[in-house]
Amino acid sequence: MIDLLHELLFNYTLRTVALGAATLGIVGGGLGTYAVLRGQSLLGDAISHAALPGIALAFLLTGSKEPIVLMLGAAGAGVVATLVILGVTEATRVKYDSALALMLAVFFGLGLVLLTYIQRHAGASQAGLDAFLFGQAAALVERDVITMAALGGAALLAMALGWKEFKLLAFDRDFGASLGFPMRSLDVVLTTLLVVAIVIGLQTVGVVLMSAVIIAPAAAARQWTDRLGVMVGLAAAFGAVSGVSGAVASASISNLPTGPTIVLVMGGVVTLSLLGAPNRGLLWQAWRDRRNARRLRRETVLLDLYALAVKHDRLDHAHEESVLDAMNAWTDRTHRALRQLAADGLVAEAADRHWRLTDAGATRAHQLAEERHLVPPPASEAEPPPAD
Amino acid sequence: MTDDPTPAALTVRDLTVAYRDDPVLWDIDLTVPTGTLMGIVGPNGAGKTTLIQSVLGLVEPAAGQVRIFGTPYAEQRQRVGYVPQRGSVDWDFPTHALDVVMMGLYGQLGWFRRPGAPEREKARAALDEVGMVDYADRQISQLSGGQQQRVFLARALVQDADLYFMDEPLQGVDATTERAIIDILRALRRRGCTVIVVHHDLQTVTEYFDHVMLLNVRRIASGPVDAVFTDENLRLTYGGRVGFLRQQQGGGAAEPSSEAAA
Repeated sequence: MIDLLHELLFNYTLRTVALGAATLGIVGGGLGTYAVLRGQSLLGDAISHAALPGIALAFLLTGSKEPIVLMLGAAGAGVVATLVILGVTEATRVKYDSALALMLAVFFGLGLVLLTYIQRHAGASQAGLDAFLFGQAAALVERDVITMAALGGAALLAMALGWKEFKLLAFDRDFGASLGFPMRSLDVVLTTLLVVAIVIGLQTVGVVLMSAVIIAPAAAARQWTDRLGVMVGLAAAFGAVSGVSGAVASASISNLPTGPTIVLVMGGVVTLSLLGAPNRGLLWQAWRDRRNARRLRRETVLLDLYALAVKHDRLDHAHEESVLDAMNAWTDRTHRALRQLAADGLVAEAADRHWRLTDAGATRAHQLAEERHLVPPPASEAEPPPAD
Repeated sequence: MTDDPTPAALTVRDLTVAYRDDPVLWDIDLTVPTGTLMGIVGPNGAGKTTLIQSVLGLVEPAAGQVRIFGTPYAEQRQRVGYVPQRGSVDWDFPTHALDVVMMGLYGQLGWFRRPGAPEREKARAALDEVGMVDYADRQISQLSGGQQQRVFLARALVQDADLYFMDEPLQGVDATTERAIIDILRALRRRGCTVIVVHHDLQTVTEYFDHVMLLNVRRIASGPVDAVFTDENLRLTYGGRVGFLRQQQGGGAAEPSSEAAA
């Protein structure tokens, strides 16, 4: 552990990679929140795939491999792809998801063709561009990280500045338009910010897996909170933690590629969140359903006992468990329900497998019968025993 | 314009809206006097929502002119409140009732300014007005349909407008909520507001509204309910099935005309 910390602080390569991964996690998680909430997860995937021909073209046109040049190329191609997707959806009868899938494949295909061309014609020394396919975190240098942080920080700042406007856009676009906000322009700005978040991660994670960085932290964060601000913060935190963990894991274990490892860690965070988060988590829901079912069974048994007691004119009349069994389909569970009721002081075991209501039980049963609008027994018999 | 000192709350002239080849609204003329509570009724696909959205500039009309209190909508935004259809938003969005209501103040706040304590106070008061103040911090997906509708209504109330457009505010709410919402609409009218409501229940039109517009792509009729809400106009709006329609909905007052029965 101390070694790890020491490495993180003083090993240049690991420190750079970890900082880069943290940056792309924070920015991707924060801005990805809006993509997830607006149902634009697949658009993120299309944008990141479409960035590949942009990177290749930027290199072909400038001959430079400067991160800022390649990022600009990637961003340009991402924006073009987004506009083409929206244009095709509006102008033709092709549906949104088909347009997305189509443009993703076409742009990615173009990117692969250009990459092959570059490898053939531009010399092997400059063929490092195919690292953008799956990412090459180890190649990150300090300048890359500074560029990532500057662009990502600006994007996050813009998101914070337009917080209420973007919230309006994501929640109720028509209402926002009726207030006079230019929703279309806001949409363009927010999508551009998403493009920035994607572009800064490409070198580390690669165009194929980058959409996970946008989607996974936000999807996980949604499980834990019902507040937009908290969700953005959590998604950024999940992104950062996953990024650093992935970087450290791939540095400690040989032959573990950084980008895919980061994505796998994020997948783990999503899985844990889907299962374990309070309220929305699957385990939580299963536990709540089970608890409710048990409570309902207990209440049913209590009401059965009450009905029997009322019929026999004596609220403390004891009844055989088998009678209660017969009143419901789930025979084996009656006993457990009775035991629980006894523990709560609502029933008492009068003799072996004979049960009667306690005073508290009769009061509670009466209350339940009223709550559920059950047909009340004749008035003289319906009175609960006076509390002493 | 004219010598009338108080311009109508809403004037629509020659409004036509089309999607591709099909006109959704055709040559609509409409004048809504200030201080009325008006229902817009018509069959599915009649263009009721589109009419409201084109008045608010959310849909680009092919032709026509809209005036709010005598001037274009862009100059009167602060005097207009809007309740979209409840189904038009994602109710699983991570926010709470009070936050949604505060969105009604975003227009007054202007760019980049965040809502603060005074806005929270106003939003709380609006929630109180619709009987929802106890649910202020509730995640919106945990509200019932009627409660969500009330939150939307509170968001419009907080806009403190003179003219309200409401798209199906009674859709899918229970009888109690319907009562409560109608009470609020009437209170708005008493304050001098004009309220225009897209409505789907023919049976309650005479009870709830003083003015009505019958719409089916064209404006069939509009004006005071007594004068306009006739069997003949309903037949023109809904086609031959209207006698059946009104009877089925329990409208004992409406006699099925012989044409309608045919």
